[in-house]
Amino acid sequence: MKKLILLLLAAAMLLPAMAQEVEVTSQRRLLEGVEGAAYFPVLNSTGDRLLFVTEGGALKFHDLNDGVTTVVTTYYVAGNDACWGGDGKVYFVTQQMGEDHLIYRTGQCYDAATRKTECVTEPQHGAVRAVSATRGGALKAPQHSYNSASDIGSAAWTEGSRVHVTVGGEERVFSPVDSWAGYLWASLSPDGKRVAFFAAGKGIVVIDLRGQMLAMLGNYEMPCWYNNEYLVAQNATDDGHQFTSSQLMLLKADGTFKTALTTPASMAMQPTCGGGKIVYTTIDGLLYEMKINIYQ
Amino acid sequence: MKKNLFKSTMMALLAIFAVNVASAQQPHVYINPGHGGYDSDDRNMVIYPFHQGDTAGSWESKSNLRKGLALREILQKKGYQTSISRVTNTTADDLALSTIVALCNQSGADVFYSIHSNATGTSAVTNFPMVFYRGYTGSPQVANADVLAADLEPYLYASQTTVWTHNYQIWGDWSFRPEWGTQGYGVLRGNRAVANLSEGSFHDYIPEAYRLLGLQYCWMEGWNISLGADKYFDRLDQYDLGVISGNVRDDRIKRLQENPQPFIVYGDDNLMPIHSATVRLLDQNGNEVQRTMTDTLRNGIYTFKYVVPGTYTVEVSEPSHFSQTAQVIVSANAATYQNFYLKRVRDTPPVVVNYTPVWHEGDPAVKCSTPIILSFNWDMDSMTTCSAFHLDPPVEGTFRWEDSYYRLVFEPVDAFDVSTLYTLTLDKSAEHGGGTAMDEDFTMQFYTQPRNHLSELAVFPYEGAPVHFKTPTVELRVDSLLDTYNLFQRLRVLDSEGNELAWNKRSIKYNKNGDDYGFVRIPLVKNIEVGKDYQLILDVDIADTAGIHLPAARVINFTGVDAGTDKPGMQVVEPFENASDFRVLANDETKNKVTASTEKLFGSKSLQLDYDMTDDSPVHVAPNEFNTVTFTQGDTLGIHVWGDMSYNDLIVRFNVPDTWTFINVPLGRIDFHGWRYMSVPVDKLGEPARFASLVLAHHPEESMCKTGTIRFDNLLKKASSGIDEARLAGMKVKVAGDYIVVSADTWVQGVELIDINGRTIKATGGNCLNVADVASGVYLVRVHINGRTATQKVTIH
Repeated sequence: MKKLILLLLAAAMLLPAMAQEVEVTSQRRLLEGVEGAAYFPVLNSTGDRLLFVTEGGALKFHDLNDGVTTVVTTYYVAGNDACWGGDGKVYFVTQQMGEDHLIYRTGQCYDAATRKTECVTEPQHGAVRAVSATRGGALKAPQHSYNSASDIGSAAWTEGSRVHVTVGGEERVFSPVDSWAGYLWASLSPDGKRVAFFAAGKGIVVIDLRGQMLAMLGNYEMPCWYNNEYLVAQNATDDGHQFTSSQLMLLKADGTFKTALTTPASMAMQPTCGGGKIVYTTIDGLLYEMKINIYQ
Repeated sequence: MKKNLFKSTMMALLAIFAVNVASAQQPHVYINPGHGGYDSDDRNMVIYPFHQGDTAGSWESKSNLRKGLALREILQKKGYQTSISRVTNTTADDLALSTIVALCNQSGADVFYSIHSNATGTSAVTNFPMVFYRGYTGSPQVANADVLAADLEPYLYASQTTVWTHNYQIWGDWSFRPEWGTQGYGVLRGNRAVANLSEGSFHDYIPEAYRLLGLQYCWMEGWNISLGADKYFDRLDQYDLGVISGNVRDDRIKRLQENPQPFIVYGDDNLMPIHSATVRLLDQNGNEVQRTMTDTLRNGIYTFKYVVPGTYTVEVSEPSHFSQTAQVIVSANAATYQNFYLKRVRDTPPVVVNYTPVWHEGDPAVKCSTPIILSFNWDMDSMTTCSAFHLDPPVEGTFRWEDSYYRLVFEPVDAFDVSTLYTLTLDKSAEHGGGTAMDEDFTMQFYTQPRNHLSELAVFPYEGAPVHFKTPTVELRVDSLLDTYNLFQRLRVLDSEGNELAWNKRSIKYNKNGDDYGFVRIPLVKNIEVGKDYQLILDVDIADTAGIHLPAARVINFTGVDAGTDKPGMQVVEPFENASDFRVLANDETKNKVTASTEKLFGSKSLQLDYDMTDDSPVHVAPNEFNTVTFTQGDTLGIHVWGDMSYNDLIVRFNVPDTWTFINVPLGRIDFHGWRYMSVPVDKLGEPARFASLVLAHHPEESMCKTGTIRFDNLLKKASSGIDEARLAGMKVKVAGDYIVVSADTWVQGVELIDINGRTIKATGGNCLNVADVASGVYLVRVHINGRTATQKVTIH
């Protein structure tokens, strides 16, 4: 196991007036010797269940308490955008190819308690996306969408260059920054008061529930809320063909502090947060769980 | 529970139904023009007249975007839904790979094209289309990605506006880059669409880089990708318009290779693209349907977009060329290619406008290697011009055309004869490229110098030379300064199986102005093998700076040896480990010095002499104190010498103790590089003498260097007692019938036959010893000549 790393990078990287220290208190390999390469990890909000996709494309979840790993589906790439709903269920999308070579996507909901999968939206051509909500989940689609309950609570997702925010049954749509290519990776802060998302060409944007922009955190990808104040994101570089470096960054949501949690050579990517834990994978599919302390 | 089960079943049935009936939907294509901006990872290909970093020049990011925008425009006209990752070429557009994949996934696209061009990144220039999908070749991670690729590549490869060097290739990225494991291309990782990364051509093939500068060429690649999509979605019959594209080139003028370095061209890319040619598309009534022009970016490309199917005439005109037309048939949703090769307008007869050598009676003679060069006002017809070329006296030679047939070069196969008056006549039958002959003959004369070949002064290895195995150095010396351009390619060392050994080009030394002779000195990279035979090849085209070359190629045989191998019976009497034990004796001792060198054969050091004999006096290397080892008549002295091919003489000097008597024994000439074992029988000593010094002497006729460096290691002695193979001058021992017959250059005083126990069993005062009564076996014969003795082993039968 790697030594604990005390990252005293603040003096070099953060705004001088906001000196803080971040300590990586533990870091451990997950599923070593049990699973091969694993990608697209997603922690639930309590940090005790982890979704991931195997090299072969199967979607599984791993219980960090009892160590049991369960197959959700073996549909290829179903897990690439899977999420946990606030109801503890897994929402994901499978796809099939028609004879006309168009791709038809089907919304699915997996109940981890019963280990049953329910097909919740019919196959349809176009974008179908799983959305996590505080009281459940949803499948957003061009023709037939699905909500797990009449009131799924709060949720955030992107579509084109728009971020959708649902609060108390009201859906609001915002476009606070210009982005030709579009927005991605929207998520609500744990307290439900802010939304972070990524605007292509601009970076991570934090807004409030009225669409007011609060901060731009830099050109990092895949933001996830570590707690109400901090986010973890991916900072990758490439040569246009393949990745040349990738690391995890800790970003303060108000834009006043940032620090690296791993080195660029770590090739750490696809971070996910929950229950005070950070889980990420690497370029070659090694899953790690990281815990940190932040000293103000 | 039952309700849920019923719902799931219904959904599954619905899925099957929907998949089979939903074909009326628009296919959705996500377009990713690779890279973005003008940064270090955006593949700037520096081609004339653009400089490094010039955004007007060739950038993969720029041409990728043009292709992508064209593809989007065409697909939208064809009724597709499209998404694209960028529409401008800035650094901010250069989205991270994970972002591109996520954008594609979020868009719900059916297929994904990442558009690129390729580069070998090496001198191996090539040009062909390639496409990649995620997974192993034949086993795509997303179903049908291989089908999408197979549907695309034939359309790219069908382009006749470029020059392909190979057929197209389709790869799974895990198979193509096994060293990446299953990481693969970043835009294919996690991509849920049927995804391809297309490398449409190679932008480091320079003519292709010029084509990729052209909007019309990039547009055509977008068109061809759209045909691949149509094929994949079975929509080839759903679009009514076609396109015409082609390349306009001169029919014989060579492409101007204006890059700082000449570049490689294949096929029609040898021909000059024509700039600013007007290209018109005419219908069957002669009405102009479309008009375009070739650009000035050295590509000659024209394209007519969105043409109604039918029969047309394409007309190309440009003021310096004759116009041409061609009839073409345009089909719906297909590309029609029509290339043009225009003939240049040549409106006067050809004449010689310049020539070399220019010589008149009384001028200095011309070098025998001088080529004859004729320059013309037009590009000439090769066959009629070469046929009209007459040289008197005749000389075998070769013709070469330069500057697109504007300049004819004649070079003699060997060289012009010495001191000869030559007359060249180009008779008036010579024609230019348009078929018009000259009005009158052209005549010139020149007289040649009395030297027409390069003379070899020395070479190492020489024929039969033993060469120490350790990274041997080869040196050629000639009588004038060598032309050093790529000279190392004209010397080759081959092993006995014909394999060429590599030179250590970083250590090559050449002659320079002011040197007394021309030379090239270059070591091999690796050791040679002891006991193996090698050949040094000197090519005939090794030439001096005036182009005078060797009279013929040379093949020199040599053998690998280990100069430091054990010498049986020899004892080390001086290891030369301590340079401080030696001193230099010379007229000017400040210019000569001995030091310890780590370039050694034994122990940890050798003794190095840096000498300067510009005053022609010899240089001695002497021990500070006389060596206690005494040599006697018949002993053998051996020494290991690191030579510098100076052709100076090396001499061993002995001193008779307690006298001022010194005796010089020549060791040999330093005609080699590297280590060599030199030995000599000590047969001049009338009485015991001790090693006094090593003498390096300049030979007035043979020496080639008065300054240099040689090294010494392990001085050996072999006593004359025992089985001594040392020879006296010219001595030969022969067992002939019943006699042992000894002959020598001088009078033989006696012969003894000694058995293996050292006893003399027979002797004679003459040179013939009767051994008829001696038992068969091995014996020693001791021969006495002029007061000296030598011993040799013989076998009596």
